[in-house]
Amino acid sequence: MKLAGLKSVDGAHEESIWAAAWVPAADHRPTALLLTGALDETVRLWSPDDLASAAAPARGHALGVVSLAAHPAGAVAAAVSLDSYVRVFDVDSGSSVATLEAPPSEVWGIQFHPKGNALAAAGGGSGSVKLWDTEKWKPITSLAVPRPEGARPDKTGSGKFVLSVAWSPDGKLLACGSMDGTIAVYDAVRMKFLHHLEGHHMPVRSMVFSPVDPHVLFTASDDCHIHIYDAKEKSLIGAMSGHASWVLSIDVSPDGMAVATGSSDRTVRLWDINTRASVQTMSNHNDQVWAVAFRPPGGTGVRAGRLASVSDDKSITLYDYS
Amino acid sequence: MASVYIPVQGTEEEVRVALDQLPADASDILDILKAEQAPLHLWLIIAREYFKQGKIEQFRQILEEGSGPEIDEYYADVKYERIAILNALGAFHTFLGKVERAQQKEVHFKEATQCYNRASRIDETEPSTWIGRGQLCVVKHDLQMASDSFKIVLDEDGSNFPALLGQASVYFLMGDAEQQHKKALDYYRNSLDLYKRALRAYTSCPAAVRLGIAFCRYKLGQPDKARQAFQRLDPENIDALVALAIMDLQTNEAGGIRRGMEKMRRAFEIYPYCTLALNHLANHYFFTGQHFVVEQLTETALSSSNHGLLKSHAFYNLARSYHSKGDIETAGRYYMASVNEISKPQDFVLPFFGLGQIQLKFADYKSSLASFEKVLEVHPENCESLKAIGHIYAKSGENDKAIETFKKVTRIDPKDHQARNLLKKAGEKIPIELLNGIGLLHFEKGELEMAEQSFKEALGDGFWVSIIDGSVGSSVVNWSIQYRDQSFFHQLEEEGTPLELPWDKVTTLFNYARLFEELHDTVKASLFYRLIIFKYPDYIDAYLRLAAIAKEKNNVQLSIELIGDALKIDDKYPNALSMLGSLELQGDETWLTAKEHFREAKDASEGKDTYSMLQLGNWNYFAANRPEKKAPKFEATHREKAKELYSNVLKQHRGNMFAANGIGILYAEKAQWDIAKELFTQVHEAASGSIFVQMPDYQNCLRKFFYNTDATILLYLARTHYEAEQWQDCRKTLLRAIHLAPSNYLLRFNKFSASTLQKTKRTVDEVRATVSELQNAIRVFSLLSVASTYHSHGFDERKIETHIEYCKHLLDAAKVHRDAAEQAEQQNKQKMEVARQIALADEARRKAEEQRKAQLERRKQEDELKQVMQQEQHFERVKEQWKTSSNNPGKRKDRSKHEDEEGGSEKRRRKGGRRRKDQKTKAHYGEEEEDEYRDEPEAEDDYANTARSNDGDDSEKAPGHLLAAAGLEDSDAEEDDMGHPQSAIERKRRAWSESEDDEPVQRPVQPSAGENDLSLIRK
Repeated sequence: MKLAGLKSVDGAHEESIWAAAWVPAADHRPTALLLTGALDETVRLWSPDDLASAAAPARGHALGVVSLAAHPAGAVAAAVSLDSYVRVFDVDSGSSVATLEAPPSEVWGIQFHPKGNALAAAGGGSGSVKLWDTEKWKPITSLAVPRPEGARPDKTGSGKFVLSVAWSPDGKLLACGSMDGTIAVYDAVRMKFLHHLEGHHMPVRSMVFSPVDPHVLFTASDDCHIHIYDAKEKSLIGAMSGHASWVLSIDVSPDGMAVATGSSDRTVRLWDINTRASVQTMSNHNDQVWAVAFRPPGGTGVRAGRLASVSDDKSITLYDYS
Repeated sequence: MASVYIPVQGTEEEVRVALDQLPADASDILDILKAEQAPLHLWLIIAREYFKQGKIEQFRQILEEGSGPEIDEYYADVKYERIAILNALGAFHTFLGKVERAQQKEVHFKEATQCYNRASRIDETEPSTWIGRGQLCVVKHDLQMASDSFKIVLDEDGSNFPALLGQASVYFLMGDAEQQHKKALDYYRNSLDLYKRALRAYTSCPAAVRLGIAFCRYKLGQPDKARQAFQRLDPENIDALVALAIMDLQTNEAGGIRRGMEKMRRAFEIYPYCTLALNHLANHYFFTGQHFVVEQLTETALSSSNHGLLKSHAFYNLARSYHSKGDIETAGRYYMASVNEISKPQDFVLPFFGLGQIQLKFADYKSSLASFEKVLEVHPENCESLKAIGHIYAKSGENDKAIETFKKVTRIDPKDHQARNLLKKAGEKIPIELLNGIGLLHFEKGELEMAEQSFKEALGDGFWVSIIDGSVGSSVVNWSIQYRDQSFFHQLEEEGTPLELPWDKVTTLFNYARLFEELHDTVKASLFYRLIIFKYPDYIDAYLRLAAIAKEKNNVQLSIELIGDALKIDDKYPNALSMLGSLELQGDETWLTAKEHFREAKDASEGKDTYSMLQLGNWNYFAANRPEKKAPKFEATHREKAKELYSNVLKQHRGNMFAANGIGILYAEKAQWDIAKELFTQVHEAASGSIFVQMPDYQNCLRKFFYNTDATILLYLARTHYEAEQWQDCRKTLLRAIHLAPSNYLLRFNKFSASTLQKTKRTVDEVRATVSELQNAIRVFSLLSVASTYHSHGFDERKIETHIEYCKHLLDAAKVHRDAAEQAEQQNKQKMEVARQIALADEARRKAEEQRKAQLERRKQEDELKQVMQQEQHFERVKEQWKTSSNNPGKRKDRSKHEDEEGGSEKRRRKGGRRRKDQKTKAHYGEEEEDEYRDEPEAEDDYANTARSNDGDDSEKAPGHLLAAAGLEDSDAEEDDMGHPQSAIERKRRAWSESEDDEPVQRPVQPSAGENDLSLIRK
């Protein structure tokens, strides 16, 4: 497995790019598209192979976009900005579908259910995961993150600060990462808390389940490590180190063989899951890499693997993954 | 042909002496001169003529006779001629002394000195004597004396040509001798001046003057001017030609070298005996491989010069030629000859190297060693010589010394594989310690790959190999109990995997683990450490490294346990104690015990460990600000103690910035602003490039040290932007910080405080944006106040309410702004009064709407107020928690920063008090206020109390009161600004450019709009 740089767009946004997500191909649109969100308060759309701008930038994401997620059907996407709103919009027309709010606190990571019937959002300081249905965009429930038994006293307050969410590919598990490094796992069918995964002690900003093994969860943390958990069995099955600073983002390749990570050390790394070793380090960005995303399979004539990375240096880079 | 006429005594006749037919025996002439009592100048003329004809003996005879005692007696009143004769004789001896070899030299110098002494006795003011003396001193390399002598002449007569030349050459030589480049340049410059003066004093001077100028230019690093000066000379002038050629050669370009060689060749054609040119030519032909020419040239060079150094060069060329031809014996002889011509190896070291090589070939190790050591005297880090010496040691069986030397080579040039290979040859096997050492050297130099190689080589084969290649690693180890669990190794042992770890490899393994840490491969590093602990449970540093890794991962509990393990082995280990202390300081319940550990660490290191002292100081400071020790007495004691400790550290290490900073903070807290400020300024100066400096430095600092991940520094950066009135940048930086540290509400708070304070918008669009942003801010503050029921995040909700109030007021003000701006756009030239009236009308229209909104807000507020009342009883607790979080050690640095700036802004406050309308001051107030919230509990309390009582007041009036109290806002002032949009923009631009130049601390208060022009002039 290896990555090969295909194209890089400098100055893709006017300010630091913080979020990226692939919108899968849809019935009406044969190819996947890349969404990026930045501090310049815009969300932009890019064509998949030449990174040509595919639509006018969508403005109004006040205070900067921190997270993006695309509905698996490829029609709508959601963007979270620092003003605490989740804005759901139609990808092709750019028109607003819904504006969601999660009082009393802000929203960080978001993720659509793999079947597309729910949207989960990490509720930051409220210490909970909020769920909305994707039909009427009404709140379904709010899953509070309980404190782990015998937990260390927390200086910052009584509750958890929730940063990231991830659905397992079969939709049965929902994981939620927090500032203190613990990861709460829920039974997503019965909406019940199962257990905490321990091992990190610094913020977990990004998580992803393996597409081939629905129990395996990869986590990226500020402690420079990538952990591999069995989310169901509550065990840490591996750790990978090599980044020199915070690991900000993680994504798994569609074949489930590799994970890619973006880090504050300005590199993108590719890891072999079998050997649990770093196989490649890309250092084409010159500022921290906020997001990495593998293109989902599907769509016409799209067999080649693609990875996109975005960075504080305002650039987007597209890699060929093979 | 010229003749002299010697008058015959007592008659009118004269004896004619044809100068080209002087008798071979000088006694004949002398007899005549004596017999006729000829004037002394005739003696001199005749002597000079002999000299010109190369009849040195005769010349000398006449002069010696002419300076004899009878002459003195007889010509007692002819002063000048007697001096001239003596001086001529002195100069002659000086010259002889210059060319002769060591022993003869002294004799001649002595005689010359005598001559000059006698001349001085006749007339001590005679300049030519002093000049001669000066020249003698130059030859004797007594430059200071020479300079003194010339100065005496020049003081009398500033344009004395020979003295000018002499002094110039003295300066030139001084420049050559000077080690310090800068001083040397000064000398050359002086020299150049004097040469110029000489040229002016005597325009048709000899070529030497222009040569001197050219050489000075050259030495001063002005090659172009030097070249011009050389070219101004006669194209046939050998010296100039050679100098130009050398300059060409030094360009090190093919073209330059070719030109240089052409010039050399021409110089050679003009005058085939210039040794310098010959040497250079020989050197050239050596490299082109024409050895025959080399030999010829060098032989000529040898015969045409008796200057030691040049001869040595020539011999060296010859030796080199033979050496490369393989005629080692001859080469050796010539090297020897070359070496013999050199008085000290500093002058020309190359032949020693050659000689050493030859001697090495002939297995004459002792002499060879001596030769190479000579080379090392001059170039102590010459790897080639060191390697040769190492080789010699190895050959003569002194392996220790050999290894020592090779080690040195690898240290100097770690990439030198030859040394390592030689090393392998020297000993049968390279000792592990050595490879470890080499690896460590690489490690220290940051050449991690090389280090890894060395460590690998040192470790050889063993269990660790499977860790290194990853076959044993993250996938096998049970990670649920990290770091302390050793069952994995037991299991391996049971399975029959050999886990031998020889004692001599432990250090290397440890170093390798450190290397892995450096490469951020902590998984492998921790496995190594654990292996070490498994085999050698007493290896305390391995525990500490594991603890450090755990600490790095923020796993405080595990880290403390690991340090506990370490302390079980040695409960006096200062590093462990310090580390434990600092860990405990972070914990909420454990901070009290931290002190004990710092103290123990200090005792264990007998007070020499400044780190633990510093930490103790920090602890005391920390304790002073702890809420449960609030009693003023304790506080004062703790501060006193902290100060004492910081001072002690400073006594030991004058340059310890942290201690100085600590004292600064203490002074600042005691409101002794001046002292504090001075201290901080000093710290800044010392730490330029560290976090306490200006904006570009912040950015650099961020990039360099933290991979942009330190939100605190971003906060400083935002602050700097803020001070520079770059609102947009400030806002973006804050947003970045929030993104980095999502749970830090402080940042959020700041952000909105900042955005509410950015009110220098000008265009309608911008004002509209501001209005919407203010609305946003109100929303977020409300959110915060709600969220605060879930958390205690460093400020209580009443303050937020205050800010909501403030925002609302601002919103109102901003709306006025918007109208005003719209008006201004429509009727730019209309008088302010009219605009105001319309604005008032607009306002009236909007009032109803606002009233409705205000009522809504008020209701909301009242709810919040209720909440506050409910929380009243918990207030003390909340406050304490807040202090805890705001004073935790992680923030120490930013504390100091803030306090530092407070020190600055305090001053501003005093000044600014007079100018209530001043926008700038207002901005500072806003900022300052936040500082106080964050950093000074007392101030915060006061403020909160005021805010509270205002809340209780008629809420209609409250905002105005509040703002007046805080000195924050005055819409009149803004309207003033609005009235002069052009000039205000101009002012802002100027303010920007000024603010970028000035240090924030020193920056004067920006004047208010009205005083603007005046103060700019004042500036």
